[in-house]
Formats: sequence, structure tokens, C-alpha cells
Amino acid sequence: MARFLPLTVTEVRKTIRDAVVVTLQPENPADFTFAPGQYLTFRRDFDGEELRRSYSICSGADDGLLQVGIKRVEGGTFSTWANTELEPGAVLEAMAPMGSFTTEYDAGRSRHLLGFAGGSGITPIMSILRSLLAREPKSRFTLVYANKGIGTIMFREELEDLKNTHMGRLNVIHVLEDDAQEIDLFTGLVTREKCADLFANWIDIANVDGAFICGPEPMMLGIAAALRDHGLDDAQIRFELFASSQPGRAAKPAGGTRAKAASGATEVVLTLDGATRRLSAATGETLLETALAGSVDAPFACRAGVCSTCRCRVLEGEVEMRTNHALEDYEVARGYVLSCQAVPVSARVVVDYDQ
Amino acid sequence: MDPTLSLADYLAAGGKLTAPGNVTPRYRAELLRLLATFVDSSLAGAAGFADTINAGPGIAERIAAARIVMEKTQNAARILRLMGEFGADTARYAGSHPWAARLPRKADIGAERSEHDMRLAVFNYPLAGWDDAVVMNLLMGQAAVVQLADFQTISYQPAADAFRAIAPVEAAHRDLAHAGLAQRIAAGADRSALEASVRYWWPRVAVSFGGGSGTRQALLHGLGLRHQSAGDQRSAWEDAAARNLEGFGLTPGA
Repeated sequence: MARFLPLTVTEVRKTIRDAVVVTLQPENPADFTFAPGQYLTFRRDFDGEELRRSYSICSGADDGLLQVGIKRVEGGTFSTWANTELEPGAVLEAMAPMGSFTTEYDAGRSRHLLGFAGGSGITPIMSILRSLLAREPKSRFTLVYANKGIGTIMFREELEDLKNTHMGRLNVIHVLEDDAQEIDLFTGLVTREKCADLFANWIDIANVDGAFICGPEPMMLGIAAALRDHGLDDAQIRFELFASSQPGRAAKPAGGTRAKAASGATEVVLTLDGATRRLSAATGETLLETALAGSVDAPFACRAGVCSTCRCRVLEGEVEMRTNHALEDYEVARGYVLSCQAVPVSARVVVDYDQ
Repeated sequence: MDPTLSLADYLAAGGKLTAPGNVTPRYRAELLRLLATFVDSSLAGAAGFADTINAGPGIAERIAAARIVMEKTQNAARILRLMGEFGADTARYAGSHPWAARLPRKADIGAERSEHDMRLAVFNYPLAGWDDAVVMNLLMGQAAVVQLADFQTISYQPAADAFRAIAPVEAAHRDLAHAGLAQRIAAGADRSALEASVRYWWPRVAVSFGGGSGTRQALLHGLGLRHQSAGDQRSAWEDAAARNLEGFGLTPGA
């Protein structure tokens, strides 16, 4: 289960106009030992509602620092707050580092890793390349870094410094969407075709051992396709979606409010995969039992309230959970229940598996 | 993130999801179901086999059996950790079910799962002694190898990574069963009993690949949680499992 630990903010540094690097001091550093490429999930209360947001660690494994990069997202409550109000001395709460956008390091190894970053997708890749340069003296890193324009490049100076410190081992190719550059290839979007051109002339793709991609989804797909075209397999291509990103996030369906329950029986109105069914529940029956009895293909696994597979959201009415070992208080506060444990106590219950 | 790209299109183009925060409710449910099936099958397989350790004819066989029990439990723990990131209570999970419980040997449940856990139906049948356990492990070990080849391609990257690490371990268990069967045959094991074990386990392992509902397969396919069809997996297993037996003069139809 999620455990949040306090972190004291020791520095908030602006990198570009709308992004900050936040340095954090944990009470017990061992709790925040991280693998380069991992992220932290923060929680904070905004006007009574708990928000959770994940940000990638950008410091290297041997920097002796815990830093995350936070880019302000248009309309984003947490990121706007971090960019405008967060100050040293503040205490944040975060879970231990998570994520598998990582690699193992071995000082004796000599390899060539490739990174593709789009905008703030640079943060986990900064951590990876810093760690590689520090830990594997014989390895090299090539970064293809896509940004709108020169003014939106996070860590521009840091990358220059790293290039100078580790002569010949870090190569950075900036691709700018709007700003023209001397070489045409370095202008525009990083697509499958552009990757093919880069591999033809600028990057020795035949000798690349692995690739890390973090950026907008269409960019990641194009790059991954190009890498596969050039012989890399799934085990060598690592994706990192922005942690809160969800391709094609569904619009919130409107909760139906019709039909009065017949006296005595409980009416369960259940939405799954966009289809809504009206079912009648026997007394004491769980939502899951009602759904399965009505031939609804509702998800479940353990039936014991521990695995959370059967999670759904109650939009109307009241239910009681017999036991709950899988949902956290903030989820319950939002109406999420474990359908294998939830028994209706009101005459009508409206639940949604699609939220 | 990108409003023009649907999840289905993203996944169809080979996109990966990387954290609990970027899966949809349906994807979450199907992924957890798949992971729970693996965890429950591993825990049930290990628990059922644990009793058989003492039936091993020699020290080497008992070490092999104990290793299989330990490593299957480790595999379960590895996948359960991923479920934990979605909220599953990893501390309570193992204690929530009697994993060693089995139905009578004569029960016939087809592909039906039990009411209370997601183990594959085959793990509801009891082992009948050492030789029977070796045959079951050889057949089911091969099935795991086939299944894991597909699991390594699933669209949830942390799970694909975990299955990539698990695959060679499961392949080694199949190889231990193969060596175990060779050892038993060399020691003069009762051939008709071995043939009976093959007849018993073959159809029970075969139904593990599922594939009943076409809509369910299409759903899993669309989410990138399955690539090879159930039918193709079953035939891949049938071919490989028959080859495994061939060298011992055993046949599936015996």
C-alpha cells in the first residue's frame, strides 16, 4: 500500500520560463534511493481535494541530490503551484521512487545508449545520462532532444557542461519545431522519417545498445517504429509516458438519474465499457454478484478485497464495503468501491466501471 | 496527452503504457486479471508441489523440486509487486487463499476457475505422487514457456519486463522436469503409470490456453494484452509438448 513520506524543499530553481527544478531533502535518504529514470508521486491537498502528481527525478544517482523537474502544464493545479508558490522550507509528501524506465550500470561496460526527449520528457533522461556518464567511463550517450524553440529547452546549460566534462561521450542533437537551424534536419518534429535520416547520417544506429524515449505519444510511436525498423527489439526500447498521461482519456460520462426503484428491491444501474444495464439486486448481494448474475462481464480476480481488480465508482446511492484492503481513503472519498465487497444499502445505486 | 490519438490507436501502433497513472479503467481491470491469473497460478502451483518434495526419490530430485517451489513463489512475488502499484494489498495477498487446496483427482471442471481465486483450472487438480508430478511439470512447464513468450510482448511495459525476467526461470523448470523424467525412466519407472499421467494431464493443460469467447480475445488483443491467439498458442504447445514426450517413447494420445 502507498506510504507517503515527508521531504523538505531546499531549493526551487527556475530553468526556463515555465519549469522549475526542485531539490528535496528526505528525513531518511535511504527511503529515497532511486534508480535513474524513476519518478516520485507527490500528494497535496488543494481546497479540500487531494491531488497526486508524478514527476521524474532529474538528478543522477551519484549527485548526492534528490531533484525533480516540474514543468507547468496549462491549467495544471499542482504544476502551477510548484512553479509560482513553492519555496524552500516547504514540506512535500511523496511515495518512494517508482518506475521501470531504468537500466543497470556496470563500470566495466562499454555501450552506446540513445535517448529521445520531447520537452519536459528530458527529466528522467537527464538522470539516466548523468548516471551513465558518471558510472560507466567507457560508455557513450546520444541525446535527441525535441523542443518548440530555443527558449523552451530545459537543462540547456547543464547539457553543455556535461558535454565539456565528458568530452566525446555525450552527443546532443537539438531538434526545434519552430526555430530554424543551420541544418534543415534539425528543424521540425521528430518523426519516424526524421529518425531514419538521423540514423543514416548522424547516429551510428547499428552500434546502439538501447534506447530511452520520453515525450508525447505520437513522437514516441514514430521513434519506436524507426528503432524497430533498424533492428532494435522491445527489450531494448524503453518508453516512458508522462506519468499522468493517458492516451485518449475518455470524456467523463454523464451520470444518469432516472427511474424510481420499486419498493423493496434494490436497483443497480451499472455502466461498463460504455453500455449501461439496469439490474435488480437480491438483498445482501454484492455489486459484483449482481453484475455477474446479470451476465455483465465485470472485472474481478481475488473476490477477497485485496487485489483491486474489481474497482468501480458509485455515482449515486450508498453501498457498504465488507472489507477493503486495496483502496485508499482518497479513492473511497471519491466514491470508488471494491465491487466484490460492496453491498447496496440504498434502494438505488448507480455505478460506473469506466471511471 | 494527445487528444487526436486514441488509446486503441496508440496501442495498435506498438505504444506502451508505463505506469498505473496512464491506464484506463478497462485496461487496468484486464491487466490486473491477467496478472492475478499468473500470481494465483504460481502460488497454487508452488503450494501444490511443495508437498511432493518429500516424495523425490533422491537428494538431487528433492533439491530440484524445492528450487521449483521457491522460484515459482519468487515469480509470484515479482508480479504481485506490480499489482501492488495498482493498490493490491501485497502483504495480505498470499494469506488470503488456501493455495494448496485441490479438488478430487476425478473432478472434471474443464476450463472453469474456482470461485475464490484466478488460478488456471489445471492447478485445481491434485498431484498423485512423484512421477505424476514430473509429467505434470513437463507438460505445464512447456505451456508456461509458450504463454510467457506472449506475455513478454504485452503493452504494459513494467509487466513485459517482469515476464522477460521470469521466462528463463520457467523454461529451466520445464528442463528440470525433462531431466527428472529421463531419470525416472532410466530407473525403471512404471511406464503404464507414466502413460496414464500423460493422458490425465494433457487435456487439462490444453484447456489452460482458454479462447472460449471471441469477444474477450478481441478485447485483449485490442488492448495489446495478447498477441498470439489462444488457438495458435495451444497448437504451439501441442507441438512442443509432443516433441518433449517423443524422446521417452510417450505420446499424448497414448
